Amino acid sequence: MNNTFNIQRFGKILKHDGLNFFPNFILSLAILWAIPVVIYLFTALMPTDGTVHIYDAMARINNIDFLLKIAIIIAPAILYKTCNDSRKGIGYAMLPASTLEKFLSMVIFCVIVTPIVYIAGALAIDSILALINGPYDGFALSMYFDKFSQIEYSFEQHGTKVMVDDALPLIISNLSPAFMRVLSILGTLMLSSIFMFGNMIFKKRKTGKMIGILILLFIIFMIIFINYVANNEAFANYFEQINEDNVSEFIIRLIRIMMNVAMYTEIVVSAVLLWGIYRKIKTQKY
Amino acid sequence: MIKISNLDFAYKNSQVFKNISLEFKKGNIYGLLGENGVGKTTLLKLICGLQKPVHGSVTVDGLTPSMREPQFLQNVYFLPEEVITEDTTPEKFVQKIGVFYPRYDFALFNQLMKELEVDLTKKFNELSHGQKKKALLACAMSLQTDYLFLDEPTNGLDIPSKALFRKVISQYCSDETTVIISTHQVKDVENLIDPIVILDRDDVLMNASFAEITDKIYFEYGPERLQNAYYTEMLPGGYINVMPNTEHLESNVNIEALFNAVMKNKETIKNLMK
Repeated sequence: MNNTFNIQRFGKILKHDGLNFFPNFILSLAILWAIPVVIYLFTALMPTDGTVHIYDAMARINNIDFLLKIAIIIAPAILYKTCNDSRKGIGYAMLPASTLEKFLSMVIFCVIVTPIVYIAGALAIDSILALINGPYDGFALSMYFDKFSQIEYSFEQHGTKVMVDDALPLIISNLSPAFMRVLSILGTLMLSSIFMFGNMIFKKRKTGKMIGILILLFIIFMIIFINYVANNEAFANYFEQINEDNVSEFIIRLIRIMMNVAMYTEIVVSAVLLWGIYRKIKTQKY
Repeated sequence: MIKISNLDFAYKNSQVFKNISLEFKKGNIYGLLGENGVGKTTLLKLICGLQKPVHGSVTVDGLTPSMREPQFLQNVYFLPEEVITEDTTPEKFVQKIGVFYPRYDFALFNQLMKELEVDLTKKFNELSHGQKKKALLACAMSLQTDYLFLDEPTNGLDIPSKALFRKVISQYCSDETTVIISTHQVKDVENLIDPIVILDRDDVLMNASFAEITDKIYFEYGPERLQNAYYTEMLPGGYINVMPNTEHLESNVNIEALFNAVMKNKETIKNLMK
Protein backbone atom coordinates (compact mmCIF):
# COMPACT_ATOMS: atom_id res chain seq x y z
CA MET A 1 0.00 0.00 0.00
CA ASN A 2 1.27 3.45 -0.89
CA ASN A 3 1.16 5.36 2.37
CA THR A 4 2.14 8.69 0.83
CA PHE A 5 -0.30 9.20 -2.01
CA ASN A 6 -3.02 7.13 -3.58
CA ILE A 7 -5.32 8.70 -6.15
CA GLN A 8 -8.41 6.77 -5.02
CA ARG A 9 -7.86 7.69 -1.40
CA PHE A 10 -7.24 11.28 -2.44
CA GLY A 11 -10.57 11.24 -4.25
CA LYS A 12 -12.21 10.03 -1.04
CA ILE A 13 -10.71 12.79 1.10
CA LEU A 14 -11.70 15.36 -1.53
CA LYS A 15 -15.25 14.05 -1.40
CA HIS A 16 -15.17 14.01 2.41
CA ASP A 17 -13.97 17.62 2.60
CA GLY A 18 -16.37 18.58 -0.19
CA LEU A 19 -19.32 17.23 1.78
CA ASN A 20 -18.23 19.51 4.64
CA PHE A 21 -17.62 22.48 2.32
CA PHE A 22 -21.09 23.49 1.24
CA PRO A 23 -23.11 23.04 4.44
CA ASN A 24 -20.46 24.76 6.56
CA PHE A 25 -19.29 27.53 4.27
CA ILE A 26 -22.23 28.40 2.07
CA LEU A 27 -23.82 30.75 4.63
CA SER A 28 -20.60 32.77 4.92
CA LEU A 29 -20.32 32.94 1.14
CA ALA A 30 -23.97 33.96 0.89
CA ILE A 31 -23.29 36.91 3.20
CA LEU A 32 -20.37 37.97 1.01
CA TRP A 33 -22.51 37.55 -2.11
CA ALA A 34 -25.22 39.69 -0.53
CA ILE A 35 -22.96 42.68 0.09
CA PRO A 36 -22.91 43.85 -3.59
CA VAL A 37 -26.69 43.41 -3.66
CA VAL A 38 -27.00 45.71 -0.65
CA ILE A 39 -24.68 48.24 -2.35
CA TYR A 40 -26.77 47.95 -5.51
CA LEU A 41 -30.01 48.62 -3.65
CA PHE A 42 -28.41 51.49 -1.77
CA THR A 43 -27.17 53.05 -5.03
CA ALA A 44 -30.45 52.45 -6.84
CA LEU A 45 -32.68 53.74 -4.08
CA MET A 46 -30.53 56.70 -3.02
CA PRO A 47 -32.47 59.98 -3.54
CA THR A 48 -30.89 62.03 -6.31
CA ASP A 49 -31.17 65.56 -7.64
CA GLY A 50 -31.77 64.16 -11.10
CA THR A 51 -28.25 62.87 -11.70
CA VAL A 52 -27.91 59.16 -12.43
CA HIS A 53 -25.56 57.20 -10.20
CA ILE A 54 -23.39 54.95 -12.26
CA TYR A 55 -21.68 52.01 -10.65
CA ASP A 56 -19.29 50.85 -13.36
CA ALA A 57 -18.01 47.33 -13.95
CA MET A 58 -14.36 47.92 -13.02
CA ALA A 59 -15.28 49.41 -9.66
CA ARG A 60 -17.51 46.38 -9.03
CA ILE A 61 -14.67 44.06 -9.97
CA ASN A 62 -12.51 45.77 -7.35
CA ASN A 63 -15.27 45.17 -4.79
CA ILE A 64 -15.58 41.52 -5.84
CA ASP A 65 -11.80 41.13 -5.44
CA PHE A 66 -11.91 42.72 -2.00
CA LEU A 67 -14.69 40.39 -0.86
CA LEU A 68 -12.82 37.46 -2.42
CA LYS A 69 -9.91 38.24 -0.11
CA ILE A 70 -12.31 38.11 2.84
CA ALA A 71 -13.62 34.74 1.63
CA ILE A 72 -10.05 33.44 1.41
CA ILE A 73 -9.21 34.78 4.88
CA ILE A 74 -12.20 33.19 6.61
CA ALA A 75 -12.27 29.90 4.64
CA PRO A 76 -9.69 27.86 6.65
CA ALA A 77 -11.19 28.74 10.03
CA ILE A 78 -14.65 27.72 8.84
CA LEU A 79 -13.81 24.67 6.74
CA TYR A 80 -11.08 23.19 8.96
CA LYS A 81 -11.98 24.83 12.25
CA THR A 82 -11.70 21.73 14.42
CA CYS A 83 -8.82 19.89 12.79
CA ASN A 84 -6.33 20.89 15.51
CA ASP A 85 -8.79 20.70 18.39
CA SER A 86 -7.72 18.17 21.02
CA ARG A 87 -11.22 16.67 21.19
CA LYS A 88 -13.07 17.61 18.02
CA GLY A 89 -10.06 17.05 15.78
CA ILE A 90 -9.65 13.35 16.59
CA GLY A 91 -11.98 12.28 13.78
CA TYR A 92 -9.97 14.24 11.22
CA ALA A 93 -6.63 12.92 12.50
CA MET A 94 -7.86 9.32 12.48
CA LEU A 95 -9.30 9.51 8.97
CA PRO A 96 -7.41 6.90 6.92
CA ALA A 97 -5.71 9.22 4.44
CA SER A 98 -2.08 10.28 4.31
CA THR A 99 -0.85 13.64 5.55
CA LEU A 100 -0.08 14.65 1.96
CA GLU A 101 -3.61 13.80 0.83
CA LYS A 102 -5.20 15.72 3.72
CA PHE A 103 -2.87 18.65 3.08
CA LEU A 104 -3.57 18.78 -0.66
CA SER A 105 -7.29 18.56 -0.07
CA MET A 106 -7.09 21.45 2.41
CA VAL A 107 -5.08 23.52 -0.09
CA ILE A 108 -7.49 22.72 -2.93
CA PHE A 109 -10.54 23.78 -0.93
CA CYS A 110 -8.98 26.92 0.56
CA VAL A 111 -6.92 28.13 -2.41
CA ILE A 112 -8.85 26.90 -5.44
CA VAL A 113 -12.44 25.90 -4.63
CA THR A 114 -13.20 28.86 -2.35
CA PRO A 115 -12.16 31.52 -4.92
CA ILE A 116 -13.86 29.68 -7.80
CA VAL A 117 -17.15 29.23 -5.94
CA TYR A 118 -17.08 32.79 -4.61
CA ILE A 119 -16.19 34.40 -7.96
CA ALA A 120 -18.74 32.27 -9.85
CA GLY A 121 -21.50 33.31 -7.44
CA ALA A 122 -20.43 36.96 -7.33
CA LEU A 123 -20.25 37.29 -11.11
CA ALA A 124 -23.58 35.51 -11.54
CA ILE A 125 -25.25 37.92 -9.10
CA ASP A 126 -23.54 40.86 -10.78
CA SER A 127 -24.80 39.70 -14.19
CA ILE A 128 -28.36 39.37 -12.93
CA LEU A 129 -28.24 42.87 -11.41
CA ALA A 130 -26.65 44.29 -14.57
CA LEU A 131 -29.58 42.95 -16.61
CA ILE A 132 -31.95 45.12 -14.62
CA ASN A 133 -32.18 48.71 -15.74
CA GLY A 134 -30.37 50.29 -12.80
CA PRO A 135 -27.11 51.89 -11.74
CA TYR A 136 -24.93 49.01 -13.01
CA ASP A 137 -22.97 49.93 -16.09
CA GLY A 138 -21.71 46.93 -18.05
CA PHE A 139 -21.13 43.35 -16.97
CA ALA A 140 -18.30 42.57 -14.52
CA LEU A 141 -18.24 39.09 -16.03
CA SER A 142 -17.16 40.40 -19.42
CA MET A 143 -14.15 42.20 -17.95
CA TYR A 144 -13.22 40.10 -14.91
CA PHE A 145 -10.81 37.69 -16.54
CA ASP A 146 -9.26 40.47 -18.58
CA LYS A 147 -8.94 42.89 -15.69
CA PHE A 148 -5.15 43.07 -15.79
CA SER A 149 -5.35 44.60 -19.26
CA GLN A 150 -7.13 47.50 -17.56
CA ILE A 151 -4.15 48.67 -15.52
CA GLU A 152 -4.49 52.20 -16.82
CA TYR A 153 -7.87 52.34 -15.18
CA SER A 154 -6.47 51.19 -11.85
CA PHE A 155 -3.84 53.90 -11.81
CA GLU A 156 -6.42 56.55 -12.62
CA GLN A 157 -8.65 55.28 -9.88
CA HIS A 158 -6.08 55.24 -7.12
CA GLY A 159 -5.08 58.89 -6.93
CA THR A 160 -1.58 58.48 -8.32
CA LYS A 161 -2.54 60.06 -11.60
CA VAL A 162 -0.73 63.37 -11.00
CA MET A 163 2.44 61.61 -9.93
CA VAL A 164 2.55 59.13 -12.76
CA ASP A 165 0.89 61.12 -15.46
CA ASP A 166 3.92 61.20 -17.73
CA ALA A 167 5.05 57.75 -16.74
CA LEU A 168 1.68 56.08 -17.29
CA PRO A 169 2.25 54.71 -20.80
CA LEU A 170 5.66 53.42 -19.72
CA ILE A 171 4.29 51.72 -16.60
CA ILE A 172 1.51 50.07 -18.55
CA SER A 173 3.93 48.73 -21.11
CA ASN A 174 6.19 47.46 -18.32
CA LEU A 175 3.55 45.60 -16.31
CA SER A 176 2.25 42.91 -18.58
CA PRO A 177 -1.17 41.38 -17.84
CA ALA A 178 0.49 37.97 -17.67
CA PHE A 179 2.90 39.14 -14.97
CA MET A 180 0.09 40.78 -13.04
CA ARG A 181 -1.97 37.62 -13.29
CA VAL A 182 0.89 35.54 -11.85
CA LEU A 183 1.36 38.10 -9.11
CA SER A 184 -2.34 37.98 -8.30
CA ILE A 185 -2.40 34.17 -8.16
CA LEU A 186 0.68 34.13 -5.92
CA GLY A 187 -0.94 36.78 -3.75
CA THR A 188 -4.02 34.61 -3.35
CA LEU A 189 -1.83 31.62 -2.48
CA MET A 190 0.10 33.63 0.11
CA LEU A 191 -3.01 35.09 1.70
CA SER A 192 -4.60 31.66 1.91
CA SER A 193 -1.38 30.07 3.26
CA ILE A 194 -1.15 32.68 6.01
CA PHE A 195 -4.67 31.99 7.24
CA MET A 196 -4.43 28.21 6.77
CA PHE A 197 -1.29 28.33 8.91
CA GLY A 198 -3.07 30.47 11.50
CA ASN A 199 -5.89 27.95 11.49
CA MET A 200 -3.41 25.17 12.30
CA ILE A 201 -1.51 26.95 15.08
CA PHE A 202 -4.32 28.66 16.94
CA LYS A 203 -7.14 26.84 18.70
CA LYS A 204 -9.54 29.77 19.15
CA ARG A 205 -10.18 33.12 17.42
CA LYS A 206 -7.91 31.89 14.67
CA THR A 207 -8.56 34.57 12.04
CA GLY A 208 -8.49 37.44 14.51
CA LYS A 209 -5.21 36.32 16.03
CA MET A 210 -3.63 35.94 12.62
CA ILE A 211 -4.76 39.42 11.57
CA GLY A 212 -3.28 40.75 14.83
CA ILE A 213 0.03 39.05 14.10
CA LEU A 214 0.07 40.45 10.56
CA ILE A 215 -0.55 44.00 11.84
CA LEU A 216 2.23 43.55 14.41
CA LEU A 217 4.64 42.20 11.79
CA PHE A 218 3.76 45.07 9.46
CA ILE A 219 4.46 47.66 12.17
CA ILE A 220 7.79 46.01 13.07
CA PHE A 221 8.76 45.79 9.40
CA MET A 222 7.88 49.43 8.75
CA ILE A 223 9.87 50.63 11.77
CA ILE A 224 12.91 48.63 10.64
CA PHE A 225 12.51 49.71 7.02
CA ILE A 226 12.02 53.42 7.75
CA ASN A 227 14.98 53.39 10.14
CA TYR A 228 17.10 51.68 7.52
CA VAL A 229 16.13 54.11 4.74
CA ALA A 230 16.49 57.17 6.98
CA ASN A 231 19.96 56.20 8.13
CA ASN A 232 21.25 54.99 4.80
CA GLU A 233 23.34 57.52 2.90
CA ALA A 234 23.00 55.70 -0.41
CA PHE A 235 19.22 56.13 -0.31
CA ALA A 236 19.55 59.84 0.51
CA ASN A 237 21.94 60.37 -2.41
CA TYR A 238 19.65 58.45 -4.70
CA PHE A 239 16.60 60.51 -3.78
CA GLU A 240 18.56 63.73 -4.25
CA GLN A 241 19.21 62.82 -7.86
CA ILE A 242 15.50 62.67 -8.67
CA ASN A 243 14.28 65.63 -10.68
CA GLU A 244 11.53 66.41 -13.16
CA ASP A 245 13.45 64.82 -16.02
CA ASN A 246 14.06 61.42 -14.46
CA VAL A 247 11.02 61.02 -12.20
CA SER A 248 9.30 58.69 -14.71
CA GLU A 249 12.33 56.45 -14.89
CA PHE A 250 12.54 56.46 -11.08
CA ILE A 251 8.89 55.48 -10.67
CA ILE A 252 9.18 52.69 -13.21
CA ARG A 253 12.29 51.35 -11.51
CA LEU A 254 10.61 51.58 -8.10
CA ILE A 255 7.50 49.77 -9.32
CA ARG A 256 9.60 47.06 -10.96
CA ILE A 257 11.56 46.51 -7.74
CA MET A 258 8.36 46.45 -5.70
CA MET A 259 6.73 43.97 -8.05
CA ASN A 260 9.74 41.67 -7.99
CA VAL A 261 10.04 41.89 -4.20
CA ALA A 262 6.31 41.15 -3.95
CA MET A 263 6.63 38.13 -6.24
CA TYR A 264 9.59 36.60 -4.41
CA THR A 265 8.05 37.37 -1.03
CA GLU A 266 4.81 35.65 -2.08
CA ILE A 267 6.69 32.59 -3.30
CA VAL A 268 8.92 32.27 -0.23
CA VAL A 269 6.21 33.03 2.36
CA SER A 270 3.74 30.63 0.69
CA ALA A 271 6.31 27.82 0.46
CA VAL A 272 7.39 28.18 4.09
CA LEU A 273 3.84 28.37 5.43
CA LEU A 274 2.59 25.47 3.29
CA TRP A 275 5.45 23.36 4.64
CA GLY A 276 4.48 24.45 8.15
CA ILE A 277 0.85 23.45 7.55
CA TYR A 278 1.93 20.02 6.25
CA ARG A 279 4.16 19.47 9.32
CA LYS A 280 1.39 20.58 11.64
CA ILE A 281 -1.12 18.13 10.11
CA LYS A 282 1.45 15.36 10.45
CA THR A 283 2.55 16.05 14.01
CA GLN A 284 -0.51 17.59 15.67
CA LYS A 285 -1.12 16.01 19.09
CA TYR A 286 -4.63 15.41 20.38
CA MET B 1 -0.51 -7.33 18.10
CA ILE B 2 0.06 -4.11 20.02
CA LYS B 3 3.50 -3.89 21.54
CA ILE B 4 4.50 -1.17 23.97
CA SER B 5 8.16 -1.16 24.95
CA ASN B 6 9.85 0.97 27.60
CA LEU B 7 7.32 3.71 27.12
CA ASP B 8 7.84 7.10 28.73
CA PHE B 9 5.22 9.75 28.33
CA ALA B 10 4.56 13.09 29.99
CA TYR B 11 2.29 16.08 29.48
CA LYS B 12 4.49 19.15 29.99
CA ASN B 13 5.32 18.80 33.72
CA SER B 14 3.21 15.78 34.51
CA GLN B 15 4.71 12.32 34.07
CA VAL B 16 2.10 9.76 32.96
CA PHE B 17 4.10 6.64 32.08
CA LYS B 18 7.59 5.72 33.12
CA ASN B 19 9.28 2.85 31.34
CA ILE B 20 6.21 0.67 30.92
CA SER B 21 6.08 -2.36 28.65
CA LEU B 22 2.88 -4.09 27.67
CA GLU B 23 1.39 -6.31 24.98
CA PHE B 24 -2.14 -6.64 23.66
CA LYS B 25 -2.67 -9.87 21.76
CA LYS B 26 -4.97 -10.10 18.78
CA GLY B 27 -8.59 -11.23 19.03
CA ASN B 28 -9.23 -10.34 22.68
CA ILE B 29 -11.53 -7.90 24.38
CA TYR B 30 -9.27 -6.13 26.86
CA GLY B 31 -10.52 -4.23 29.85
CA LEU B 32 -8.25 -1.30 30.59
CA LEU B 33 -8.88 -0.44 34.20
CA GLY B 34 -7.47 2.18 36.50
CA GLU B 35 -8.38 5.01 38.76
CA ASN B 36 -9.22 8.42 37.31
CA GLY B 37 -6.20 10.16 35.90
CA VAL B 38 -3.82 7.20 35.68
CA GLY B 39 -3.53 7.51 31.90
CA LYS B 40 -6.08 5.11 30.41
CA THR B 41 -7.14 7.59 27.73
CA THR B 42 -3.54 8.65 27.16
CA LEU B 43 -2.54 5.03 26.59
CA LEU B 44 -5.32 4.64 24.02
CA LYS B 45 -4.23 7.89 22.33
CA LEU B 46 -0.64 6.64 22.19
CA ILE B 47 -1.81 3.39 20.60
CA CYS B 48 -3.91 5.36 18.09
CA GLY B 49 -1.07 7.73 17.21
CA LEU B 50 -2.84 10.78 18.59
CA GLN B 51 0.10 11.24 20.95
CA LYS B 52 3.75 10.39 20.50
CA PRO B 53 5.91 8.64 23.12
CA VAL B 54 8.66 10.71 24.73
CA HIS B 55 10.84 7.58 24.89
CA GLY B 56 10.27 3.97 23.97
CA SER B 57 8.00 2.64 21.28
CA VAL B 58 4.44 1.71 20.46
CA THR B 59 3.78 -0.56 17.49
CA VAL B 60 0.55 -1.99 16.13
CA ASP B 61 1.14 -4.96 13.83
CA GLY B 62 4.66 -3.60 13.33
CA LEU B 63 3.45 -0.13 12.33
CA THR B 64 4.21 3.03 14.28
CA PRO B 65 0.91 4.75 15.14
CA SER B 66 2.35 8.27 15.44
CA MET B 67 3.28 8.12 11.73
CA ARG B 68 -0.49 8.09 11.03
CA GLU B 69 -0.09 6.13 7.84
CA PRO B 70 -3.29 5.13 6.01
CA GLN B 71 -2.35 1.43 6.30
CA PHE B 72 -2.46 1.81 10.08
CA LEU B 73 -5.41 4.20 10.26
CA GLN B 74 -7.72 2.02 8.18
CA ASN B 75 -7.33 -0.78 10.71
CA VAL B 76 -8.08 1.15 13.88
CA TYR B 77 -10.98 3.11 15.23
CA PHE B 78 -11.00 5.18 18.40
CA LEU B 79 -14.27 6.12 20.04
CA PRO B 80 -13.53 8.89 22.56
CA GLU B 81 -15.36 9.25 25.83
CA GLU B 82 -16.75 12.64 24.91
CA VAL B 83 -19.49 12.49 22.34
CA ILE B 84 -18.63 14.84 19.49
CA THR B 85 -20.96 14.68 16.56
CA GLU B 86 -21.60 16.47 13.33
CA ASP B 87 -24.81 18.15 12.24
CA THR B 88 -25.93 15.13 10.29
CA THR B 89 -27.60 11.77 10.71
CA PRO B 90 -25.54 8.77 11.90
CA GLU B 91 -26.34 7.18 8.53
CA LYS B 92 -24.78 10.02 6.53
CA PHE B 93 -21.88 10.22 8.94
CA VAL B 94 -20.99 6.54 8.60
CA GLN B 95 -21.38 6.70 4.82
CA LYS B 96 -18.99 9.63 4.72
CA ILE B 97 -16.22 7.96 6.73
CA GLY B 98 -17.00 4.35 5.81
CA VAL B 99 -15.51 4.65 2.32
CA PHE B 100 -12.05 4.89 3.88
CA TYR B 101 -12.33 1.52 5.63
CA PRO B 102 -11.93 -1.59 3.47
CA ARG B 103 -14.29 -3.83 5.48
CA TYR B 104 -16.98 -1.22 6.19
CA ASP B 105 -20.43 -2.80 6.07
CA PHE B 106 -23.47 -0.54 5.81
CA ALA B 107 -25.88 -3.45 6.32
CA LEU B 108 -24.12 -4.22 9.59
CA PHE B 109 -24.49 -0.57 10.61
CA ASN B 110 -28.24 -0.75 10.03
CA GLN B 111 -28.46 -4.00 11.96
CA LEU B 112 -26.47 -2.56 14.87
CA MET B 113 -28.61 0.57 14.97
CA LYS B 114 -31.65 -1.66 15.18
CA GLU B 115 -30.09 -3.82 17.90
CA LEU B 116 -29.09 -0.74 19.87
CA GLU B 117 -32.55 0.76 19.37
CA VAL B 118 -31.39 4.03 17.82
CA ASP B 119 -33.62 5.97 15.43
CA LEU B 120 -31.95 5.96 12.00
CA THR B 121 -33.72 9.01 10.69
CA LYS B 122 -32.80 11.47 13.42
CA LYS B 123 -29.83 13.79 13.31
CA PHE B 124 -27.18 13.43 16.01
CA ASN B 125 -28.28 16.66 17.69
CA GLU B 126 -31.82 15.31 18.00
CA LEU B 127 -30.61 12.23 19.89
CA SER B 128 -30.01 11.96 23.63
CA HIS B 129 -26.46 11.56 24.96
CA GLY B 130 -26.89 7.80 25.38
CA GLN B 131 -28.46 7.45 21.93
CA LYS B 132 -25.56 9.38 20.38
CA LYS B 133 -23.09 7.08 22.10
CA LYS B 134 -24.91 4.01 20.82
CA ALA B 135 -25.10 5.46 17.30
CA LEU B 136 -21.37 6.15 17.32
CA LEU B 137 -20.74 2.63 18.60
CA ALA B 138 -22.75 1.26 15.67
CA CYS B 139 -20.71 3.44 13.29
CA ALA B 140 -17.45 2.27 14.86
CA MET B 141 -18.36 -1.42 14.76
CA SER B 142 -19.65 -1.31 11.18
CA LEU B 143 -16.20 -0.19 10.03
CA GLN B 144 -14.94 -3.65 11.09
CA THR B 145 -11.44 -2.51 11.86
CA ASP B 146 -8.89 -4.91 13.36
CA TYR B 147 -8.58 -2.71 16.42
CA LEU B 148 -11.38 -0.94 18.21
CA PHE B 149 -10.59 1.37 21.11
CA LEU B 150 -13.47 2.42 23.31
CA ASP B 151 -12.88 5.07 25.96
CA GLU B 152 -15.42 4.88 28.77
CA PRO B 153 -18.10 3.61 26.39
CA THR B 154 -20.73 3.00 29.05
CA ASN B 155 -20.62 6.47 30.58
CA GLY B 156 -24.01 8.04 30.15
CA LEU B 157 -25.77 4.83 29.10
CA ASP B 158 -28.84 3.70 30.99
CA ILE B 159 -29.02 0.17 32.43
CA PRO B 160 -30.75 -1.48 29.42
CA SER B 161 -28.31 0.26 27.07
CA LYS B 162 -25.36 -1.09 29.04
CA ALA B 163 -26.74 -4.59 28.55
CA LEU B 164 -27.20 -3.89 24.84
CA PHE B 165 -23.66 -2.59 24.67
CA ARG B 166 -22.28 -5.82 26.15
CA LYS B 167 -24.48 -7.84 23.81
CA VAL B 168 -23.37 -6.16 20.57
CA ILE B 169 -19.70 -6.17 21.52
CA SER B 170 -19.70 -9.87 22.34
CA GLN B 171 -21.95 -10.80 19.40
CA TYR B 172 -20.66 -8.65 16.56
CA CYS B 173 -16.92 -8.37 17.15
CA SER B 174 -15.11 -10.97 15.08
CA ASP B 175 -12.50 -13.30 16.53
CA GLU B 176 -9.85 -11.29 14.73
CA THR B 177 -10.84 -7.98 16.28
CA THR B 178 -8.96 -6.63 19.25
CA VAL B 179 -11.10 -4.42 21.43
CA ILE B 180 -9.69 -2.33 24.25
CA ILE B 181 -12.31 -0.93 26.57
CA SER B 182 -11.07 1.71 28.94
CA THR B 183 -13.32 2.11 31.93
CA HIS B 184 -13.46 2.75 35.63
CA GLN B 185 -16.95 1.30 35.82
CA VAL B 186 -15.87 -2.31 36.00
CA LYS B 187 -19.34 -3.73 36.60
CA ASP B 188 -20.43 -2.49 33.18
CA VAL B 189 -17.95 -4.69 31.39
CA GLU B 190 -18.15 -7.76 33.60
CA ASN B 191 -18.51 -10.98 31.58
CA LEU B 192 -17.33 -9.10 28.52
CA ILE B 193 -13.66 -8.41 29.00
CA ASP B 194 -10.82 -10.90 29.17
CA PRO B 195 -7.91 -10.18 29.72
CA ILE B 196 -7.64 -7.32 32.16
CA VAL B 197 -5.02 -4.59 32.23
CA ILE B 198 -4.82 -2.52 35.40
CA LEU B 199 -2.91 0.72 35.20
CA ASP B 200 -1.46 2.69 38.04
CA ARG B 201 0.35 6.01 38.03
CA ASP B 202 3.55 5.44 36.01
CA ASP B 203 3.02 1.70 36.07
CA VAL B 204 1.15 -1.39 34.82
CA LEU B 205 -0.01 -3.45 37.77
CA MET B 206 -1.58 -6.32 35.86
CA ASN B 207 -1.99 -7.66 32.33
CA ALA B 208 -3.52 -11.09 32.63
CA SER B 209 -6.30 -13.28 31.32
CA PHE B 210 -9.02 -14.59 33.65
CA ALA B 211 -7.39 -18.03 33.54
CA GLU B 212 -4.07 -16.59 34.65
CA ILE B 213 -5.77 -14.55 37.36
CA THR B 214 -7.75 -17.45 38.82
CA ASP B 215 -4.66 -19.62 38.64
CA LYS B 216 -2.98 -17.34 41.17
CA ILE B 217 -5.82 -15.56 42.91
CA TYR B 218 -8.82 -17.17 44.56
CA PHE B 219 -12.17 -15.42 44.97
CA GLU B 220 -13.82 -16.89 48.01
CA TYR B 221 -17.47 -16.15 48.81
CA GLY B 222 -18.12 -17.00 52.43
CA PRO B 223 -19.76 -15.99 55.67
CA GLU B 224 -16.65 -14.43 57.20
CA ARG B 225 -13.78 -12.05 56.61
CA LEU B 226 -10.53 -13.99 56.16
CA GLN B 227 -7.30 -12.79 57.69
CA ASN B 228 -4.93 -13.68 54.84
CA ALA B 229 -7.09 -12.07 52.14
CA TYR B 230 -5.66 -9.33 49.94
CA TYR B 231 -9.02 -7.67 50.05
CA THR B 232 -12.34 -8.34 51.68
CA GLU B 233 -15.67 -6.78 50.94
CA MET B 234 -19.04 -7.28 52.46
CA LEU B 235 -21.69 -8.48 50.03
CA PRO B 236 -25.34 -9.29 50.63
CA GLY B 237 -25.27 -12.62 52.45
CA GLY B 238 -21.58 -12.68 53.30
CA TYR B 239 -18.12 -11.62 52.21
CA ILE B 240 -15.94 -11.86 49.17
CA ASN B 241 -12.33 -12.56 49.99
CA VAL B 242 -9.65 -12.09 47.37
CA MET B 243 -6.72 -14.27 48.39
CA PRO B 244 -3.70 -16.12 47.05
CA ASN B 245 -4.70 -19.34 45.31
CA THR B 246 -2.21 -21.58 47.07
CA GLU B 247 -4.36 -24.68 46.73
CA HIS B 248 -5.18 -24.20 43.01
CA LEU B 249 -8.88 -23.95 43.59
CA GLU B 250 -11.26 -22.84 40.87
CA SER B 251 -13.23 -19.62 41.21
CA ASN B 252 -14.91 -16.86 39.21
CA VAL B 253 -13.26 -13.47 38.90
CA ASN B 254 -15.06 -10.60 40.55
CA ILE B 255 -13.54 -7.68 38.66
CA GLU B 256 -14.44 -5.02 41.17
CA ALA B 257 -13.02 -6.99 44.07
CA LEU B 258 -9.94 -7.85 42.02
CA PHE B 259 -9.40 -4.19 41.13
CA ASN B 260 -9.68 -3.13 44.76
CA ALA B 261 -7.37 -5.96 45.84
CA VAL B 262 -4.76 -4.86 43.30
CA MET B 263 -5.05 -1.23 44.38
CA LYS B 264 -4.49 -2.21 48.04
CA ASN B 265 -1.63 -4.62 47.34
CA LYS B 266 0.07 -3.13 44.33
CA GLU B 267 3.54 -4.59 44.61
CA THR B 268 2.43 -7.96 46.04
CA ILE B 269 -0.06 -8.72 43.29
CA LYS B 270 2.17 -7.24 40.58
CA ASN B 271 4.95 -9.63 41.63
CA LEU B 272 2.50 -12.52 42.01
CA MET B 273 1.24 -12.10 38.42
CA LYS B 274 4.70 -11.80 36.86
